[in-house]
Amino acid sequence: MSDNRFTLVGMRPVDKQSPQNTKWYKGKPIFSIVLFLIIVLGCLFCELFIPQDPTYMDLYNANIAPCKKFWFGTDTMGRDIFSMVWYGGRISLFIGFFATAISTSIAICYGAASGLAPKWLDAIMMRFTEIFLSIPELLLVVLIQAVLGDANVISITFVIGITSWVAVAKVVRTEVLQIRNSEYVIAARCMGAGFFHILNKHLIPNFMSSIMFMVVMNIRTAIVYESTLSFMGIGLSTEIISWGSLLSLSEKSLLSGSWWIILIPGIFLITSLLCITDIGNYLRDRKKDINGIKRLFCRK
Amino acid sequence: MINKNPYLYYSRKILIFILSVFLLSIAVFYVARLAPGDALFSYYGSRVEKMSPKERERAEKKLGLDAPIHIQYIRWLENAAHGNFGISFKYKTDVLEVIKERLPNTLLLGGIGFLFIFILSPMLGILCILHNGKWLDKLICKVGTIISCIPEFWMSLVLILIFAINLKWFPSSGAYFIGREGDIWGRILHLILPMTVVIASHLWYYAYMVRNRLLREIGTGYVLLEKSVGFSKRSIIFKHCLRNVLPSYLSIMAISLPHIMGGTYIVETVFSYPGIGTLSYESARYKDYNLLMVLCIMSGTVVILCNIIAQIIDERIDPRIRESETARIMEVSDV
Amino acid sequence: MQAILEIKNLSVSFNTAQGELQAVRDVSFSLNKGEVFAIVGESGCGKSVLCKTIMKLLPDNGFIKGGSILVNGTDITNYCQKDMECLRRKVFSMVLQDPMTSLDPSVCIGKQIAEAVKICNPKMKHNAIYNRVIELMTLVGITNPEYRYKLYPHNFSGGMLQRTVIAMALASEPKILFADEPTTSLDVTIQSQILNLLKDIQKKFQTAIVFVSHDLGVIARVADRIAVMYAGKIVEIGTSEDIFYNSRHPYTWGLMRSLPYFAKNGEELYTIPGMPPVLINPPIGDAFACRNKYALNIDYEEMPPMFKVSDTHYAATWLLDKRAPKICPDIFPPFVLHSCTVPDTRQDEKNSCNISTDTLLDVQHLSQYFKLGKNNVVKAADDLSFQIRRGEIFGLVGESGSGKSTVARCIMNIYKPFLGQILYKGINICDRKQFFKNRKMLQSSRQMIFQDSASSLDKHMTVADIIAEPMKICNIKPKRGSFRNEAEFQLYYVGMDKSYLDKYPDELSGGMRQRVAIARALSMEPELLVADEPVASLDVSLQSQIINLFKHLQSEHGFSFLFIAHDLSVVRYLCDRVGVMYKGKLVEVAPVNELFENPLHPYTKALLSSVPIPDPQREMEKTMLEWREND
Repeated sequence: MSDNRFTLVGMRPVDKQSPQNTKWYKGKPIFSIVLFLIIVLGCLFCELFIPQDPTYMDLYNANIAPCKKFWFGTDTMGRDIFSMVWYGGRISLFIGFFATAISTSIAICYGAASGLAPKWLDAIMMRFTEIFLSIPELLLVVLIQAVLGDANVISITFVIGITSWVAVAKVVRTEVLQIRNSEYVIAARCMGAGFFHILNKHLIPNFMSSIMFMVVMNIRTAIVYESTLSFMGIGLSTEIISWGSLLSLSEKSLLSGSWWIILIPGIFLITSLLCITDIGNYLRDRKKDINGIKRLFCRK
Repeated sequence: MINKNPYLYYSRKILIFILSVFLLSIAVFYVARLAPGDALFSYYGSRVEKMSPKERERAEKKLGLDAPIHIQYIRWLENAAHGNFGISFKYKTDVLEVIKERLPNTLLLGGIGFLFIFILSPMLGILCILHNGKWLDKLICKVGTIISCIPEFWMSLVLILIFAINLKWFPSSGAYFIGREGDIWGRILHLILPMTVVIASHLWYYAYMVRNRLLREIGTGYVLLEKSVGFSKRSIIFKHCLRNVLPSYLSIMAISLPHIMGGTYIVETVFSYPGIGTLSYESARYKDYNLLMVLCIMSGTVVILCNIIAQIIDERIDPRIRESETARIMEVSDV
Repeated sequence: MQAILEIKNLSVSFNTAQGELQAVRDVSFSLNKGEVFAIVGESGCGKSVLCKTIMKLLPDNGFIKGGSILVNGTDITNYCQKDMECLRRKVFSMVLQDPMTSLDPSVCIGKQIAEAVKICNPKMKHNAIYNRVIELMTLVGITNPEYRYKLYPHNFSGGMLQRTVIAMALASEPKILFADEPTTSLDVTIQSQILNLLKDIQKKFQTAIVFVSHDLGVIARVADRIAVMYAGKIVEIGTSEDIFYNSRHPYTWGLMRSLPYFAKNGEELYTIPGMPPVLINPPIGDAFACRNKYALNIDYEEMPPMFKVSDTHYAATWLLDKRAPKICPDIFPPFVLHSCTVPDTRQDEKNSCNISTDTLLDVQHLSQYFKLGKNNVVKAADDLSFQIRRGEIFGLVGESGSGKSTVARCIMNIYKPFLGQILYKGINICDRKQFFKNRKMLQSSRQMIFQDSASSLDKHMTVADIIAEPMKICNIKPKRGSFRNEAEFQLYYVGMDKSYLDKYPDELSGGMRQRVAIARALSMEPELLVADEPVASLDVSLQSQIINLFKHLQSEHGFSFLFIAHDLSVVRYLCDRVGVMYKGKLVEVAPVNELFENPLHPYTKALLSSVPIPDPQREMEKTMLEWREND
């Protein structure tokens, strides 16, 4: 026995000990994702479960507190708040996503151009963004709205999109400047890579991960912005139902003490915003794990 | 851009400042006038619709709206050089008078709010760091995140609902009790709710930033060395980390000043607080050109000034940037 | 003599997302007053963690799993941070690896040292503190201390900063000084000065020093006793002579033998095959068994205990068990036989075979200047001229700031030189017209390998894409069918199998990444390969693998190789001719043997004499030439 144990055997491949399988869902904001999915799906398919027609104004039943018939109560024009909240969510979320899509596209183009441009052009482009930022937001919105005519979903989306691209553009520019001087881009240039090759293969995949977090936060900002604008009266009119226009009626309800018109849609809005924030925070913390998004969906 | 000659440095900055304000004024002037909408509406109200073309012409001449835009601008510039900024179409008084009445209210609200944020956010950030990893830090982060998600107008409404209407502790609108403008206590009571909203909606953003920067500082090498020499974590944070975070904090605060002060218009609207926030909104909506110009230039000036101050802080006070060697490479070959 | 520090069966673990990482496993040693105790090991073996644990400076997710730490007889294992602060002020001190980040950039260095003094002597008056600071600065060799008191860290070089850190460490007159790789990031000449300083301190103040390093040469110079660590355990411990002249553990053998210094003429460098284990689920038996040529069956089943070789020398290997077979390893470092004066016949053989007299690269009067601010111009390269022939390995040596990277980048057309010209195959690559005319050829026949493999590979591309990239850029059809097949072939050539094709760079270790970079460079079959410090950031055993790879590939393909390094022993092993750079100037160029045996320029002489030799006796006998420079 002891002889056997002390024989010279040399190197033997040892079975690779795989790391303890931690549960795949650990660390991921599962609760927020699930909740947000429920909200989104509910808004998209609300017709399947809402009891009343959200646009139907039943003045007889105006200003009723939450009860069995109207789960969230009714507003000053007699519409069922429960139905309106789900139905209006569509528009608010739509505006949120598409406005962010517009602002992100502008930001990427502008930021990448500024980062790749020669120094003098870069300086001018940055000065321009500063002046752009110094014009009061409200003025821009009002004026652009005036140009576009009556506020509707598309125009609001457009307006929000073209006023909120600056912060992301600055981040894109910083990232591009950094990536431009990194060694793998230098290596690619030594090999003879052209401008577009570097742009597509190296620049874009790399700064996308940095701005993911900001993009998600922008969705949140866009939704809040829309509701603020509608509340102030320069956004959607009360005929088009969104969370913002829903809340624009709430000022009057203060006097009548109908708390449900203020509180309930607000809580709905805040919950969605919190879910988005949570997902955004997760993306930011995972930024270090560059390919984390790809790996998000596969378990090792 | 560190010149040895401070005079040259500062005069350069002043030049950029004046140029930027000038460009801003041109931009606002043109944009305001080119946008569709009827400027006469703000002066004459609904009578505009009933005016005959001849009356319109006369009205336009009276208000100086008949000439082409660049002539209007030059006229305006000449008048402005003499201190005459025109009259507000809506209020029919001198623009400066209108602003003078309301400016102090906004300054109170925005200014004191900014001071509170300036002082409270580092305190909150440090509190989080001192208890980093423990329940207090996590609780503050969660609560802060939730509060930062609440839209300003909604928060205002809810506060009015609870404190003004149900509990009746504070008034729900206005800046002072009617007739008692000088009553300081009355002013304070009126300020509390709107200021709470202003502070609550911005505080967490800056506190979180301070917290994250401090967290980054704590991870650096010199903190480890200080610990090994025998300093306690507390003294390292206060003596060293804060000092290193301070320049970037100051420059960010400089940029946020106009943002906070200019962002009071929502709060002013909900609380019917007579400040220049609501004034700007009205002048933009109803094309009250003269008022709009002055307000835009005022706010634009503050923004540009604060940006320049932030740049100066960045360049002169932060020692890392001040002396860091940024080699200007003499031509990266465009192969 | 009672030991001032005693570690008994210490185990330290970290809580990570993947589970518990056992960084230190069952370590025991003791430290006596006034001795230098060195801990040697590669990255990941747990030596830094050990130091930080004793000083209780672990990050939040680290904890002591078991064992005890005794300082002067007192058990400090369960001390809280407050008690440790007292200890840190009076007994312990630490010197960290990177002096650039170890100091607060916004406080002048005099003040930082003063703070360190104050915290140990809270009642000292202002004047007394100032005097003490000047005294400490003079002690560590900072000249002109009154003037330098007011300067900031960014005004200083690495060597001066490290002296400042040592001054801060000495402020408390510590009994134990922990030095965690203090000279790794410093130049060779500065390194020898700092090592001398540490030895001085040991003599003057009888301070015990725990010196952690991976460099055996440095250890040979300073250490009295040595512990070799692998995978969280001490595998061998003994005096300097025991370890260098009579080592008993196969890992120590492998470590010594992998050094280029011990390479026998012309032979391949010995390498330790395989990789260190991941310590999340450490193997049951001896962690080194799967890389050990001399492993026994029992090595895979049970961990070896510490066997006594002599009173001072212990080793944890089953080979020392009575029942184990007696082996006479051929990889025993031949200290007695080897001597630096043995002529290297390899060079002459090689000369006749591969190197032609054709000049491939001709650098003529190259100058490159950088502007730092208005009045400050740095001459990164100053009137450099040299040639590289076909099939030759040319080494370019110099310390940091000497301009070697600048030269490499000028040759690769990354920078446009200010003055001078570079002729590649007769074409002047600095001239735009000529460059564009021969663009395709130039871009494929010259390739570069960078130092930091992590940043030279795009994190978002898979290995297959990275290797195929140059071919895609130059629109070359893959010879073996698809780009993927091509990539597989190149990987095979550098010793990696095709399972790596779909991995991302951050999933690979440093050595693997560097191989991928090499595969990418070689896929274009270049005639000139420029490598900018390719092995500097790798461990010794990985270094030897990559160097062997370079040698093998060069002899097969026959490309010319510009090898830039600061490690002279590697250059000596690999290169045919060497050029020495100092502050932008090329001070000496000679065939490798000539340069090392008979250096002409004083800087070369100083450089060669400061290189630490992994042989304690020779280190002691060596007289060091000081190269005085304005710091």
